[in-house]
Amino acid sequence: MTESDDQTYVEWIAREARRPVVMGPAARTRIMDAVRAEPAPRRRFWHRLIEPRLISASPIASLALAAGLVGIGVFGGTFVNNRDGLTSTGLPQAVPALPIARVPVSDTVKVMTFRFIAPQAAKVSLVGDFNGWSVDETPMTRVDNGGVWSVTVPLSVGRHLYSFVVDSQDWIADPRAPVAPDDGFGHANSVVLVSRGSSS
Amino acid sequence: MSRHLSSLRAAVRLVGLVAVRAGAQTSDPLFKLDQTSRFVVDATIDSAKVAGLPWNFLILRAREGISKGADSRHIAAAVRARFASLKDARALFGNISDGELNAAAGLLEARGVRPEHLAPLKNQPRGRSIVSALTVLGDLVTKGIPSEEASSAIIKLWQGGAGDADFMGLYHNVESDILQGLNPGIALQNRMRESLGPSGKLLPRAGESETPSP
Repeated sequence: MTESDDQTYVEWIAREARRPVVMGPAARTRIMDAVRAEPAPRRRFWHRLIEPRLISASPIASLALAAGLVGIGVFGGTFVNNRDGLTSTGLPQAVPALPIARVPVSDTVKVMTFRFIAPQAAKVSLVGDFNGWSVDETPMTRVDNGGVWSVTVPLSVGRHLYSFVVDSQDWIADPRAPVAPDDGFGHANSVVLVSRGSSS
Repeated sequence: MSRHLSSLRAAVRLVGLVAVRAGAQTSDPLFKLDQTSRFVVDATIDSAKVAGLPWNFLILRAREGISKGADSRHIAAAVRARFASLKDARALFGNISDGELNAAAGLLEARGVRPEHLAPLKNQPRGRSIVSALTVLGDLVTKGIPSEEASSAIIKLWQGGAGDADFMGLYHNVESDILQGLNPGIALQNRMRESLGPSGKLLPRAGESETPSP
């Protein structure tokens, strides 16, 4: 076969391929009948679960659904702790100011009461390594008109650094406790030692 | 239908983005650090994990700085300093509890306190904690007593068999003397004479008899 014969053959194939296929009017009906006659394939249960499908929803409903999912995620992430009693960030759990009767006391956790005199203060907080140095975590309560503020917290046995924060801005070390060496941030910390037998 | 789906996707992406940021801020205590300082702090924490050091104290150090309003670079420097002092404390004391290690590390960051000052406290008998000795030493140094003088006093008490109550007793007595106007160094010397006998052995405190009563 010469090159000229090849070209002629290719042109013939192309011409045939371009020619429209004319189907009789009954052909489409016959094909569809044949398809319907075939038994539907059996889908497994998990196929139905993973099969993509279209869902229609209004924008408002979509936003409400998305906000709900986000709320669940944020709530779950905030309150999940690991087995060691540490938060997901590796920090000790925050210590809430609980009434004495509800505080679990064990060999490794003791109840300690902190008192601080600040007659002019509108708000005093106990802040320390036991509550992640959070100014809002452990508010103190004014217990009398003389300006004595108090809070009772459970502390694990060991050494803890703490300070009092007056009106959310003044960091003041406990005048009745040992002071830790320079904290490096310009505010002195006090030290409380919690031993297995201690409570204060 | 396709317009609804596009709206749904856009809404989910938008709310998701907001949630990721909000979630990251609520669960990440260090989100207030600037990018460079955050990188330094994270790298230091990773190094502490690799070295087997209690890295939670580094996070607490950073959180302390954030709560106290320190700037990010200052906080990163403080975290690095604590990492270095934790390593020094581990090298000095070996396998002690995390709390003791952190107390020693904090003390080693104090001006003038060197590892050799604390060396006699290592190899403590089983069940005897060095935390109260370190705490009172830190307090004495903070009061302005030279670290060599303060550590020498604490080591003498320790070697004389002092316990937690003895160290805290020394703290209260020195504090009381200072409030009455005595120089901190003089107050310490006086109280040490009261605490230790000529042989260097711990004397019984007031109200205690030398031999246990039946």
